[in-house]
Amino acid sequence: MAFVNYLLKRFGFMLVTLFLVTLITFGLTKILPGNVALLILGPNATEASIAQLEAQLGLDQPLYVQYVDWVAGLLSGDMGMSLRYNVPVFDLIALRLPRSLLLAVTATIISVTLSIPLGIIAAVRKNTPADLTASMLAFIGLSLPIFLWGLVFIYVFALTLGGFPTRGYVSPMVDPIASIHHLILPASAMGVALTAYIMRMTRSSMIDELSEDYVEFARSKGLSERAVVLRHALKNAAIPVITVVAFQFSYAFGGVVVLEEVFSWPGIGRLTLTAIENRDIPLLQGSIIVIALIYMLSNFLADTFYAYVDPRIRYGGSE
Amino acid sequence: MTTNATTDPLLAVESLRTQFKTENGTITAVDDVSFTLDRGEVMGIVGESGAGKSVTAKSIMRLIDYPGEIASGSVIFDGEDLLECSEKEMQSVRGNKIALIPQDPMTSLNPVLTVGQQITETIKLHQDVGESEAREIAIEAMAEVEIPDPELRIDEYPHEFSGGMRQRVLIAIGLACEPDLIIADEPTTALDVTTQAKILELLNDLRETHNVSILMITHNLGVVAQTCDRVGVMYAGNLIETGEVEAIFNQPRHPYTRTLIDAIPEVGADRNRLYALGGSMPNLQSLPDGCNFADRCPHATDDCHSGGDPALEAVPDAPAGSHAACFRTAELDLSEPGTETDGERRHRTQTTEPLLEVTDLKKYFSAGDGLLGNLSLARTDGGGLTLERQYVKAVDGVSFTINRGETVGLVGESGCGKSTVARTVMQLLEPTDGEVYFDGHPLHELGKSEIRSLRQEMQIIFQDPKSSLNPRKTVGQIIGRGMEKHNIATGNEKRERIEELLERVGLAASDIDKYPHQFSGGQQQRIAIANALAVEPDLIVCDEPVSALDVSVQAQILNLLDDIQDEFDLSYLFISHNISVVQHICDRVAVMYLGKIAEFGSVEQVFEPPYHPYTESLLSAVPHPNPNRETKRILLEGTVPSPMDPPSGCPFHTRCPKKLGGECERDEPRAKPVDGDDDHTIACHLSEAEMSEPLTHQQSNTTVEQP
Repeated sequence: MAFVNYLLKRFGFMLVTLFLVTLITFGLTKILPGNVALLILGPNATEASIAQLEAQLGLDQPLYVQYVDWVAGLLSGDMGMSLRYNVPVFDLIALRLPRSLLLAVTATIISVTLSIPLGIIAAVRKNTPADLTASMLAFIGLSLPIFLWGLVFIYVFALTLGGFPTRGYVSPMVDPIASIHHLILPASAMGVALTAYIMRMTRSSMIDELSEDYVEFARSKGLSERAVVLRHALKNAAIPVITVVAFQFSYAFGGVVVLEEVFSWPGIGRLTLTAIENRDIPLLQGSIIVIALIYMLSNFLADTFYAYVDPRIRYGGSE
Repeated sequence: MTTNATTDPLLAVESLRTQFKTENGTITAVDDVSFTLDRGEVMGIVGESGAGKSVTAKSIMRLIDYPGEIASGSVIFDGEDLLECSEKEMQSVRGNKIALIPQDPMTSLNPVLTVGQQITETIKLHQDVGESEAREIAIEAMAEVEIPDPELRIDEYPHEFSGGMRQRVLIAIGLACEPDLIIADEPTTALDVTTQAKILELLNDLRETHNVSILMITHNLGVVAQTCDRVGVMYAGNLIETGEVEAIFNQPRHPYTRTLIDAIPEVGADRNRLYALGGSMPNLQSLPDGCNFADRCPHATDDCHSGGDPALEAVPDAPAGSHAACFRTAELDLSEPGTETDGERRHRTQTTEPLLEVTDLKKYFSAGDGLLGNLSLARTDGGGLTLERQYVKAVDGVSFTINRGETVGLVGESGCGKSTVARTVMQLLEPTDGEVYFDGHPLHELGKSEIRSLRQEMQIIFQDPKSSLNPRKTVGQIIGRGMEKHNIATGNEKRERIEELLERVGLAASDIDKYPHQFSGGQQQRIAIANALAVEPDLIVCDEPVSALDVSVQAQILNLLDDIQDEFDLSYLFISHNISVVQHICDRVAVMYLGKIAEFGSVEQVFEPPYHPYTESLLSAVPHPNPNRETKRILLEGTVPSPMDPPSGCPFHTRCPKKLGGECERDEPRAKPVDGDDDHTIACHLSEAEMSEPLTHQQSNTTVEQP
């Protein structure tokens, strides 16, 4: 029952956040300068035709009615029509979202497989050259913005060493090999940038756990150091790391906006940029909502994963 | 066992020296320690914090972490020098031949692994068995340490066990591979006294059934007296006395041992000032030239201050096995307790004028995590889903008074609500219900600003002075702040007052410009007391003020509190889990159980003899620092119920050895006067005659203490 209570609360929390996000998104696009009808019709439109279009779009309704209509539309998958492309926003996003997810998920997998072992080694060999080197590299990784890593990777692996395309996307449905080929550079660039933070977190969390009483007790049972670290300390150390991974995944999704531009990756990030450039308000609203939803879902997943790792959450209270 | 096994000691520690490298040089935490432990023997290593007990224990198992290292010596275990073994060989000794029972059961089990996983991993490591067989052995071990329903509980996680049960799990892990030696590092320090009694009982039983040797590391002489055959006393990294337990308690051969014994307030002893040494253990980095103890020793002569630290040597004309590290041990007779000059208890001013009157005080905490308040999904009786509002009833209808000049104690085990009473009385927490009158002012009706000005009259001293003194302020700034706020003194006058106060609490006037971290724990508690005195309060709430202190320092602080009481016309509300301390310092005492007062009266009325079954079992559970004392321990069943779901009727009925039946389960007993005396009240359905009756054999667990 405690587990269900916990998940229900987390889920409720997510719904409340989602509601606030829709309010903010709706509000923001309303206070942005510019008249939507004017944007659609162009500078030569007459006042009568603007008024007619506004009535058609429901823009003459009170704000709360517009909001309710908009949310009702969202719930039924109707996000309106893109002003620029003149196709449903839903279709635009549905096409691009999987591409961005592919990039972000691959990047997260790369960073997790790199950062967690590195973090463990750094923690176990605290204050040795190995730790200092790893920590310094991590610090460099943290200090540089994601797009710079993209440029470095393009320069080194595509232009200098060759063998990788500099840009573009191929669907895995069409050509799996070419798809992976195109994926490696952007995903690695993003993965490296994310590695640093997760590694730092793993290291400090692991150092904390290694000084706990249960670790010394595990040693007193005669366990090897390897078993003490991997069997006892790691699972506990993972709990704060999960938060960071979820956060980094969301961050990766934000980073996607810039990196997709660097690698000409036709995902939701570029779509959002286009929406901003063209004042395509329905498209912007839809993109923001979808990105926010991804944030929240990844955090909800992290919360669920906590419960999996930590029995105190699964079976309820301990003080 | 081989033939020579019976004659050779199981463990022989020889000239062990363990050092820690720090930025300020090398600290020798264990300095030239030698002792032996025979097969089947229980030896205690006793001393105050920093004496080197735990480091000795860890050195034996070679569990010293960087920056520590074992510098020299040998640890011969079963004929083999462990210090010469490879790490791999050591791993097959740890948990297998030598098992550790760690100090804190709450933190020593891995929270994310089941209890079963943690027991079987040791078994699978050291024995050639499969998963299912290991599980069988684990269940047996759990049954042996008397964990109920081991087949079910083996798959539960540590947080589902109480503190005492977790300690049993740790012991089961220790026993699982049938070790020859168990090192128990403060195995009961983190436990309540009734739980401690059960764990000590268990260790005594196991020692007999398994013929295992135990090295018992503890700061508690009572634990030593109740469990050990022999004892070694440590001070500043040295073993300064070893001998048979009885011999040491009858006649210590080292003055430090004598003062350790004298500093303990004993249940049932007179309540005069405790015999307390000044000062504290020397800093291990700057040890004195002569005997390490000379600066504090009441028997030290000039010779003791030079010529190095005396070696541990056999004491002439003493019982066999008595060793002491003292230049003067042959000439001293330490068989009588030391006496304090002017040893009469000073405190005697008591009035019948009430200062604090608490009536039916309640404090409920909501049990939710804040997100949806305290609502929680639960099943109804019919099986449907429902939302429930949950409370922790920390304090549930508590009434008492404190007269001017009086000390009233609140005693009880952890979670009984005693600290919540203190904080609610002080209005640091808002009471849920009830009335609190302080000096005639109804605190429960006053606004925040009125309470703030009254706070000058009520001060509180916490358990941990380190966390209650601002580390970034000097002592003068800390103490001066209250004086300024309440317009008591400013400028030079303030400084003079602070210097006076510091001297009064046993510090130097020059300490005024130092920072809290420059003081030891005991000195910090003195600062906290000076800070409380600075605003000239009428009432000081002392919340476990000596629980974090070593026994010799504890005695100093108790004496200080006693001394200043009349001088500054103070009343105390004294919160403690330590019955001996409460009995020593209090005039009247309330025994709390599960948010309610079980018994209230003068110390004599409550403890001599105890009436309420809970008071009786609490008192019986205290391990006495006297090996010859015959103890009849009442071992309570089960654990304290959750205050979220307290039992119906009498809160104690689930564990009461004298329970009557349905009446106790149904009706909550009201506090009623004993012998028609309104000053002594008991909340129990039993008649006075029934309460005084000794328990039948089934009800009690009688132990005649050896050795």
